[in-house]
Amino acid sequence: MIGPIVQWVNTLLFFYYLVCNLIYLRLLVAAIKASVNQNRRQKTAWLDRVRRSPLTPPISLLVPAHNEERSIVESVRSLLALDYPDFEVIVTNDGSKDGTLAQLVEYFQLTQSDYLYLPQIETKPVRGVYLSRTERKLIVLDKEAGGSKSDAINAAMNLASKPYVCVVDADSMLESDGLLRIMAPVVNDPDRVVAAGGIVRVINGSRVTNGSVGDVRLPWEFLEMMQVEEYLRAFLIGREGWNAFNMLLIISGAFGVFRTDLCKQLGGFRRGAIGEDLDLVVRMHRQLREQNQKYRVHFVADPVCWTEVPSTFRSLGNQRARWHNGLAECLWHNRCMLFNSRYGRIGWVAIPYMWLFELIAPVLEILGWVSILVAAFLGLLSRRFFIQFLLFGYVFSTLISVGSVLIEEMTYKRYNNWRDLARLICFCFLEHFPYRQIHALWRLRGIWQYLRGNHTWTKIERVGLGTSPKPSVAAG
Amino acid sequence: MPSVSRLLDLMGPSGLIVQALLASLVAVVGLLAFILLRRGARRLYFWRRDRRVLEVRAEWDAIVDGSIPPRSWVLGRMSRDIVEGILLDRIEVASPEEVERLLECLRFSGLLDARIHEARIWRGWRRHKALLALGRMRAPEAIPALAEGLDDAGEECRGAATRGLGRMGLPRAAVPILQRVSAGKLEAPSSLLQDALINNCRPTPGLVLTFLLKAVEGARPLLARVLGEIATPDLDEDLLLLASDESPEVRASAARALACAKPGLAVSILAGLVDDEEWFVRLRAVVALGELEDPRAIPILLHGLCDRNRQVRIRSSCALSRLKNHLEDILCLALRTQDAYAIQELVSELERSCGVFELVTALGDSRRRAKAEAALLAALRGGRRILLDLVLHHENWRTRGALARLLSRSGDPELPKMMELFDSPGLPLRKRRVLRWLARQLAPAQASLSQAARGWHDWPDCAVGQHAAVLLLPGL
Repeated sequence: MIGPIVQWVNTLLFFYYLVCNLIYLRLLVAAIKASVNQNRRQKTAWLDRVRRSPLTPPISLLVPAHNEERSIVESVRSLLALDYPDFEVIVTNDGSKDGTLAQLVEYFQLTQSDYLYLPQIETKPVRGVYLSRTERKLIVLDKEAGGSKSDAINAAMNLASKPYVCVVDADSMLESDGLLRIMAPVVNDPDRVVAAGGIVRVINGSRVTNGSVGDVRLPWEFLEMMQVEEYLRAFLIGREGWNAFNMLLIISGAFGVFRTDLCKQLGGFRRGAIGEDLDLVVRMHRQLREQNQKYRVHFVADPVCWTEVPSTFRSLGNQRARWHNGLAECLWHNRCMLFNSRYGRIGWVAIPYMWLFELIAPVLEILGWVSILVAAFLGLLSRRFFIQFLLFGYVFSTLISVGSVLIEEMTYKRYNNWRDLARLICFCFLEHFPYRQIHALWRLRGIWQYLRGNHTWTKIERVGLGTSPKPSVAAG
Repeated sequence: MPSVSRLLDLMGPSGLIVQALLASLVAVVGLLAFILLRRGARRLYFWRRDRRVLEVRAEWDAIVDGSIPPRSWVLGRMSRDIVEGILLDRIEVASPEEVERLLECLRFSGLLDARIHEARIWRGWRRHKALLALGRMRAPEAIPALAEGLDDAGEECRGAATRGLGRMGLPRAAVPILQRVSAGKLEAPSSLLQDALINNCRPTPGLVLTFLLKAVEGARPLLARVLGEIATPDLDEDLLLLASDESPEVRASAARALACAKPGLAVSILAGLVDDEEWFVRLRAVVALGELEDPRAIPILLHGLCDRNRQVRIRSSCALSRLKNHLEDILCLALRTQDAYAIQELVSELERSCGVFELVTALGDSRRRAKAEAALLAALRGGRRILLDLVLHHENWRTRGALARLLSRSGDPELPKMMELFDSPGLPLRKRRVLRWLARQLAPAQASLSQAARGWHDWPDCAVGQHAAVLLLPGL
C-alpha cells in the first residue's frame, strides 16, 4: 500500500521540480536580456537630466526605526546626503526601548515641536514630532510601539507631504544617486509607473565612511556570504525576470518608491501584515486591475540600497521565518486573486507561482526528503537515478547562481576585486548543502508561526553601520 | 563503439536526467569561462584604451585644430571613439567660442556626417547611440536626422531623438517635436518631451502657445505644462485665456505660469483659481501666489489656508511664511479665520521655516514690537517649546530678555511643566537661573491666568485677543 503512494509522491515531486526549474531558467534568460538592455540605457541615461528637470517629483523618505540605536545616525546621515533635488526624511521611532530617539535627538539637535500630525491612516498614538536645528529636511516622529513595521511606516506616511514616498529601512544605506536612479522610470512614465523598487545589497564586509559605502567588499563570514549570493539571485534574476513580464509582486521594504496618493487610497501598509512590502504591492495590483487601469510596477537594478544582514544563525532564522510568515499571511489575505481572470496574468501566473513555488516549497522540499528516505527503506529507490537526480539538482541550482554572478559581472559589477569574484563563484557551489536545507526548515517554521497566529515584528540583531562624528549647528 | 545517445538509452529512464545534467554542467562551465575571459579581456581593453587616451590628450590641441590629419585617428575605432568621447564631454562644459571650435573639428573630421549617416540608416541600439551622440554634438545640421528619429518604430530610439533634440537649445529644434505632439503623432515619455521642449522653447514661449491653441485634446495638458515652466510676463493675456480652460490640467499649468506674470494681473487671476473645484488647480494657484511674494495675495492665501484639502493648506502656509515682513499681520489674520487646522498648519510652518525666529527678532524693533508680541503670544500654544529654546539660546541677549519677560506675562500653565524638560544638569548655571526666574514669575498660575486674559482683552481687536487666549489657555 505504502509503496505506490511513495512512488506517486515521488513522481509528483519530480514534475514539480521540473516545472520549477523551467521557470527559473526562463526567468534567468529574461533577466539577462533585461539587465543588458538596462545597462545600455544606463550608459546613455543622463542622471543630470533627472536632477535638473523641474518635472522631477519630490519624495518623502519614510524610515521606520525600532531599536536601531546602533545604525540610526549613520543611516539618517546617509539619507540626508542623497543627491536629489527635493526630498524630506521622516523617521518614525516605533516605541524603541533602546536609545534610538536619544541618538537622533543628540546628533541632529532635535527639538520637540507641535508640527501638525493628521492621522489620515490609523496608527498607534504619536507621542511627538521632532524637528532638527541642523537639518531642515529631517522630521522625527516618536510613537508608541505598533508591533509591526507597517504601523511605523503609516505614521510617517501621515506626515508625508510629497507625491511619492520612498520606504527605506533604518539599517540600510542608499547610494548617493540611488533616488535619482530609482525615480528614472517614474520620471519617464509618471502616468503609468505607480511603484518602483531598487536592488538591495549586503553591506557586511564593506567599509562605511561618513554615511556612505566606501570600499565595496564581500564579507568573510560564511553565513553572510550565503546571503550575498541569495540577494544577487533574488534581485538580479527573480525581480528582474518578473519585471520583464510586468508581474513583479515584491518591492523590497528596504528600498521602494510608491505613489503617495495610491498608498493612502489603499489605507497605507496593512496593519498586522508582516510582509508589508509584498502585501502593499499585491494590493496595488489588485486595486488597479479591478479599476482596469494601465499601470506598471518597476524594478530598477542599478539604484543600490546597502543593508546589513544578520550574521548569526538565530537572527537569520528569525528573519527568514518572519518573511515566510508574512508571505503566507499576504497570500491568504489576497486568496481571491488566485486563478481569478479579473486579475489577468497576476491572478493566473504570479500569484499561483507564489503559492506553489514559494509558499509551499519548503513543505514539498521536506516531503521530498522524507519520501526519498521511505523509498530507500522500502527498496523502491534506484540508487543510480537518485544520484543522477541529486547531481542534476546541484548543477542546475549552481547554474542559476552562476547566472546571477554573470548578470552582476556584465552589468553592475560592484565587486571589482578578482578575489571577490573568485569567492562569489565558489559560494555558488557551496550553498546547496547544508544551508539550503536549514533554510527550508526556517521557512517551514514561518508557516508554522503563521498557522499559530504569531504576527510579531521580531528584532534582528545587528552590529551597526559605523560611528559618525557629531556635526555642529553651523554645519547644517 | 556505441554512441553517446545509445549509451544514454542504455542507462534507462534516467537518460533525460543525465542529458539535463550534462547540459547544465556545460552551461555552468561555459558561463564561468565567459565570466573569467570577459573580465580578463576587458582588463586588457581598458589598459590599452587608457594608454591611448593619454596619447590623445597629449596631442589634443593638434587634433582639434587639424594639424594632425583626421585620417590618422578616424580610421581606428578605438581612437575615433576616444576623440569623439572627449569632444562631446568638452562641448558640455565649453564656452560658446570653444564649442564652435570643437564643432568645427567634428565637421572637418567627418565625425558629424558619420553620425548623421548612422542615425539615418541604422536601427535599434546602434541608431539609439548615434541619435544620442548627435544630440550631444548640438550641431544644427543634425536636426533633420534627429527629427527622422522621432518617427522610429522603437520607443528607445524615439526617446533618444527627443533627448537629442532637447539638447540643442534652439527653437527650431522644438518645431519637429511640437508638430508631432500637437497632432498626437509622437509617443514618447511625457517627461522627455517636456524637458526637450522646455530646453528649446525657453527663449520663445510664444511658440509653444501657438501649437497649444491648435493641439489635439490629449496633447494640451503636456504643452500647457511646458508653458507653465517657461512663461514670461508678456504672456499675461494668453494665460488669462488658459486659466479659464475646460481642462483642469491646463488650468493648473496656467496657474503655474502666472507665477512669472506681472503681479497685479496674476493675483487677480489666481484669486479665481484658488476657488477651483479641482484640488491640484487650487494647489498650483497658492504655490504661484507664494512665488509672487506679493502682500496683496495675503487674504487669498488665508482663504487657501482654510481649504478642505490638506496639501492646499500646507502650500498656503508655505506661501504665507515667505512673506517675512508681514508675519505678524498674517498670524493675526489667521486667528480671525477661527479655523484650528489652518492656524496649526501656519504655526507649524512658521516653526519649520524659522518664521518664529523672525517674529522674535521683531521684538527688538519698536515699530513691529506690538504686533509681534500679539502674534507670538497667539502662537505660544503651537510653539512654546521653540520659544523656550530661544529664551535660552538666542544670540542676542536683549531679545532673550524681551522674550523671557513676554513669556512671564503669558501665564501659560503648561510652561513650568515644559521648563522642567529644559532644566537638565548639563545646562549652564546662567541659563538655569533664567528658567528659575521664569518659573517664579509663572508660579501664581491663577493670578497670571486672569492677568493674561485681561491682557488679551486689552488688545484693540477683541476677537483676536479672545481667540488667541482660548488657544493659549485651554482651561480659561
